[in-house]
Amino acid sequence: MSVPAAGGWGRSVAVITWPFRHGLRVPGGRLIGQVYAHGAGLVAAKAAHCAALGEVRMTMALADDSQASVSAAARLSGVHYQVRGHSVFKDLNLSIERGKITAIMGPSGTGKTTLLRLITGQLQPDQGQVSVDGVDLAALKTDQLYALRQRMGMLFQNGALLTDLDVYENVAFPLREHADLPESLVARIVLMKLQAVGLRGAARLMPSELSGGMARRIALARAIVMDPKILIYDEPFAGLDPIAMGVVLRLIRNMNQALGLTSIVVSHDVQEITALADTVYLLSEGRVVASGAPASLHNSQDAMVRQFLTGGEEGPVPFHYPAADYLQQMLSQEVPQ
Amino acid sequence: MSVLVDWLEMLAEQVRQWGRFSIFTARLFAVTPRALLRFRLIVEQLNNTGARSLVIIMLSGLFVGMVLGLQGYDLLRRFGSTEALGTAAALGLLRELGPVVTALLFAGRAGTSLTSEIGLMSATDQLAAMEMMAVDPIRRVCAPRFIGGVLAMPLLAAIFGLLGILGAYLVGVVIMGVDSGQFWSQMRSSVELKDVVEGIVKSVAFGLACSSIAVFEGYYAVPTAEGVGRATTRTVVVSSVAILALDYMLTAALL
Ligand SMILES: Nc1ncnc2c1ncn2[C@@H]1O[C@H](COP(=O)(O)OP(=O)(O)OP(=O)(O)O)[C@@H](O)[C@H]1O
Ligand SMILES: [Mg+2]
Repeated sequence: MSVPAAGGWGRSVAVITWPFRHGLRVPGGRLIGQVYAHGAGLVAAKAAHCAALGEVRMTMALADDSQASVSAAARLSGVHYQVRGHSVFKDLNLSIERGKITAIMGPSGTGKTTLLRLITGQLQPDQGQVSVDGVDLAALKTDQLYALRQRMGMLFQNGALLTDLDVYENVAFPLREHADLPESLVARIVLMKLQAVGLRGAARLMPSELSGGMARRIALARAIVMDPKILIYDEPFAGLDPIAMGVVLRLIRNMNQALGLTSIVVSHDVQEITALADTVYLLSEGRVVASGAPASLHNSQDAMVRQFLTGGEEGPVPFHYPAADYLQQMLSQEVPQ
Repeated sequence: MSVLVDWLEMLAEQVRQWGRFSIFTARLFAVTPRALLRFRLIVEQLNNTGARSLVIIMLSGLFVGMVLGLQGYDLLRRFGSTEALGTAAALGLLRELGPVVTALLFAGRAGTSLTSEIGLMSATDQLAAMEMMAVDPIRRVCAPRFIGGVLAMPLLAAIFGLLGILGAYLVGVVIMGVDSGQFWSQMRSSVELKDVVEGIVKSVAFGLACSSIAVFEGYYAVPTAEGVGRATTRTVVVSSVAILALDYMLTAALL
């Protein structure tokens, strides 16, 4: 096992590229951390650390991913969901293919964030079924759901960094909570992830000292620190400058290709998504209105798809939230109820 | 008719709130043993809630004690027994004023900051992010704050009582000229263990009430700026009423 380059993903990926599961044992036999890892970052760093310090002996069981036989990483069938009487989804059907990058697009307020929260079990559908890795989320107990979430990473729309911890501690947070690792190893993993998003130098800044785009990149580093199998990005490109955008774009693609991750990306950026995604779902008014490879959507003659891809206000996809007739409301003296 | 409907709705909301609170405290207690293992987090919160309330508690204790010295002196002088001032001040502070005033100040100083902190964390998706990282926010965020508050309250009440007695001594003995030896000896001979126990029981009970209310209000705050503001206000109101009601019940039970 070779020592991973501090450079981050690119080279550490070369060390091991198949999914496996492993545990670290100290000579006494106490399990000090069990990490279900899909790839290289954490595992390679652990291996390097063990080799370097000799303080832990590693036992590694290479096993095929037991769930690999189930083709869809996540599936929603017949999902209905309402918030305060407003129906967000009516009979939504959608499946996320394993190992692929799936993009979710749709006008603002169609429920893309809500969809992600359904997939991660933060919200429960009123009707219908959400399953991840072939398991129905509704059937899971809290600790089973938490175990599942350790294999998922999610980038929140606004970053959602913990404001009382600095950048370094934010990225280290999942490691500290789930794996009892020596500090030198935590540092190595954290710095590797920070390097991947180009913010290693910002390790000791507080979240309040970061710009929006920086906070998002830190949140991305935190989302990948446990080497999840499914990565969920809620608008990863919003507010990034072109360079950071390119970096994040490549990062998403590299992690997906090299580690066989399943990625779900919510975004409005038609160009980026075209370059990145294997499959696109276009949502509108609580349903999937179009889906397929980006190229097929570009060639589509469907008015709805054309409108979204070209950005027209008039068309079948409503730009406006449901409302009374504009002219009538303006002419009457009434105030919105 | 509609007034009646409004009333019933309000009542139903109160019942729902009680239900939520009971379930929340049950979950809080359930995770407390595991949270206790994270010693560093609790020390952090002891510093946050306890140490930062220290100045206001000490100042208030001193002034309350001084007022007690003055009022007590005036009252006892009418019966010609000013030497009992030490006893009067110590009993008042240990059994009533210490725990109650400390708890009220604690609700205003530490309770509000707990509520707004947790409420803002939820408004900025931090609690949701924690859940996504498979970390239970009740265990990681609420429990250490709750435990810190429960531990801090009796300590703060003790400090308040100490400073109060010092205040009463300053006014009674140094200014009004009560005999110093009598002040202390009377206090020592008539204050019993039972009085101290009453003070401790009360301050622990208030600590449990204040901390759980503050943490609950923050956790269930409507995740907006306005919602967090309201929750913070509610923390003070609900805690204060709870403290006074509990005080009556405990006094009756322990008498
Ligand atoms: N707590 C809530 N109360 C009421 N309505 C809500 C609530 N949360 C979401 N909604 C509604 O659900 C719908 C979907 O919201 P969601 O945040 O999922 O949209 P989105 O597609 O992610 O939008 P954006 O692209 O702007 O992030 C919106 O119409 C919103 O009004
Ligand atoms: Mg959204």
